[in-house]
Amino acid sequence: MAVPTSPARIRPVEDKSAQLRPSPSVIPDVARGAAPSFLEDPRTIPHAFDIYATYQRALSDPKISAPLAAILALTELISRSEAGTMFELVKALNDGAEALSKRAPNPIGLNAGCELFIAFVTLFPHESASFPDLKKELVRQGQEYASQALNFRAKVAEQTLGFIKDDSVILTHSYSRVVMQALLHAHKRKRISVYVTEARPRGLGLKTCDELTAAGIPCTVVLDSAIAYVMDKVDFVLVGSEAVVESGGLINAVGSNQMAVIAKAENKPFYALAESFKFHRLFPLSQYDLPTHKPGILSFPQPALSLEAKLSASQGRPGPDPSSIKPKMIPAAPQSLPYTEQRTMTPEQIAKNPDVDYTRPDLISLVFSDVGILTPEGVSQYLVGMFAG
Amino acid sequence: MSSADLPAIPSQRVVEALAAKLRRRQVVGSRDAALETVFVLRQVIAKARFQNIHQLVVLIKNVGRTLAQAQPKEHSVGNIVRRLLHLVREEYNNAIKSNAPTRPRSLTIANFVLQGQPRKASLVTKAESSLVLNENDPDDPDSFAKTLKPVLMEAIQDTLDELDTVYESIGRNAKDHIHSDEIILTLGKSKTVEMFLKQAAHYHKFTVIVAETGPSYGGHEMAQSLSSIGISTFLVPDSSIYALMSRVNKVILGAHAILANGGMFAVSGSLMAATAARAHSTPIVVCAGQFKLTPLWNLYHEYGALDFADPSSVLGFDEGDLVDKVDVLNPYYDYVQPDLVDAYVTNDGDHPPPSIYRLIKESYDDEDNEL
Repeated sequence: MAVPTSPARIRPVEDKSAQLRPSPSVIPDVARGAAPSFLEDPRTIPHAFDIYATYQRALSDPKISAPLAAILALTELISRSEAGTMFELVKALNDGAEALSKRAPNPIGLNAGCELFIAFVTLFPHESASFPDLKKELVRQGQEYASQALNFRAKVAEQTLGFIKDDSVILTHSYSRVVMQALLHAHKRKRISVYVTEARPRGLGLKTCDELTAAGIPCTVVLDSAIAYVMDKVDFVLVGSEAVVESGGLINAVGSNQMAVIAKAENKPFYALAESFKFHRLFPLSQYDLPTHKPGILSFPQPALSLEAKLSASQGRPGPDPSSIKPKMIPAAPQSLPYTEQRTMTPEQIAKNPDVDYTRPDLISLVFSDVGILTPEGVSQYLVGMFAG
Repeated sequence: MSSADLPAIPSQRVVEALAAKLRRRQVVGSRDAALETVFVLRQVIAKARFQNIHQLVVLIKNVGRTLAQAQPKEHSVGNIVRRLLHLVREEYNNAIKSNAPTRPRSLTIANFVLQGQPRKASLVTKAESSLVLNENDPDDPDSFAKTLKPVLMEAIQDTLDELDTVYESIGRNAKDHIHSDEIILTLGKSKTVEMFLKQAAHYHKFTVIVAETGPSYGGHEMAQSLSSIGISTFLVPDSSIYALMSRVNKVILGAHAILANGGMFAVSGSLMAATAARAHSTPIVVCAGQFKLTPLWNLYHEYGALDFADPSSVLGFDEGDLVDKVDVLNPYYDYVQPDLVDAYVTNDGDHPPPSIYRLIKESYDDEDNEL
């Protein structure tokens, strides 16, 4: 069975949004291979409207995050839709949201945005004179929200400032735009220094370090395996989020759960920064309940493979020659230790690893969002109020 | 000073007097500070002249800021101001609503998200107010104030009544929290806990262990007061709290201020008692009035929030030799984390620490968090 998302996983170290922007060779694969009948479905596509392409176009703006891009894609769908009643429109929106989540490798963020927008559309009062007017109003609301939402990061940064003391040492994970804005905002008034984890396999932590150093904040990259080593030196942990779920837990790049567990063990506060459109009505009971947990993740290799074929697969080389194991040096390593060889995982091995993980609410101290500072329990209050109230 | 303050010069004196008393710590205790603040605000509002709601809010906020800055460690002052601001806005909104019932609420996605904001389940408006509010009326500038003031006075009277009956309300359920032949541990001198235990003593017979709580030794007074009405009381030194904890059924503490994350500031020694209780899985109950709920989050990072008392009670000047070689600290309060407290018994019911933020969102408005 083809694993279409595997080549899309490994990207050169870049903007996080780049991981959802696949190379040109992938889209035709997906379209040919496992794509739903979205493209052929006459009800939802009046003019060959590709919602996923719209979504990616919205995402190409570095300031827009996945839930906002989903909202923008859905507003585009509304403006092109020929639905005549609210019922048809909501159905079209639901189909569009489903199509998006099937095509994206990591659907959690965009699911949150879609749910929020569809709930809003359902509850919007029918004050307009005609249905096309109502559609125009909905499109306007969606676009207005997306532009307003760009200010949310500033609000979150302002709230975080109150918790940062002078001379704080902060630990953060991978690259998050909200955390970057909060740190740069704090740097204007207080002295901070930052440890950031490398965040393999994408290595986005290096991007964080570059940006912070350029702004004048002392920053050091820490190995993912050295989180426990560094935790004692740290005052508190600050991470961004892909989604904050109904239990009050956090979904973020893999490694966040590890950081939270270690922070709890060492009694350090763990703060999550999330804008309100990332609140998601998901209630995972374990890591493997997440929609991103595909069957291939953490699976063991087939025992039927011959030893030679297994060895060559793990070394990524075609020839079955186990005696000449060539070490693969990491090209970017500034000083390769001469007495040990450095080896890296192959793309197939990396594909068996998760992208995001789930952090339990009891490990999180507080969630900072644009609607206020919340305890993890407070998040579920908001979700119930929004979707059930 | 905004123009709304200038006519209120007579009440300005009252405000200054209270601020001076707070600064000199002549007003001691959260409830007393809260009561004084309500009296001062009542006078200010009674004599204030304002033409629209915004002026009134600015006036109250200015008074609140002056008082809070006079004694920043006395959080109940700021809390009462915030509570009154919330009530003022509520009364104003009620009055407006009865005038213009069809008010189209523009629903944007941002507003939609805020629907998740906790708010008190819709209160029944006590009197179907038929107020006609004329804001910024150039002909009759006092009409707005004259129509709104009686309603505000009622609201302030409600707050006063709540403060007056705080001990009775908290003690109402005391008999359900304490059972016969239980051994209760408490610390220091808290009027709230004292009344709570006295109420329970009417129904059950139990024993109380009071820790003397050095260096202020408030425990001595507490033990005397409890034993005077016949409760079997033991007075023990602080060092034996952990040793006795295996025999204790419940720990009941008072609080100075309850923070928005569910943690609290309490008399020094409470953190030790709470940690010892956790180690023995003993329930910890905190009795506090709702005026102690503070909508601030990061106070526990402020070292100064511990409010230091006179160091001579720790190391007196008679130890002349040591005095200049040693730094002596006498913090008056401890910060106790939310996971060390099992329940807060307040005059508005019992709540676990994770729900405290909800009470705060219901009682105060977000824009008042920073006076």
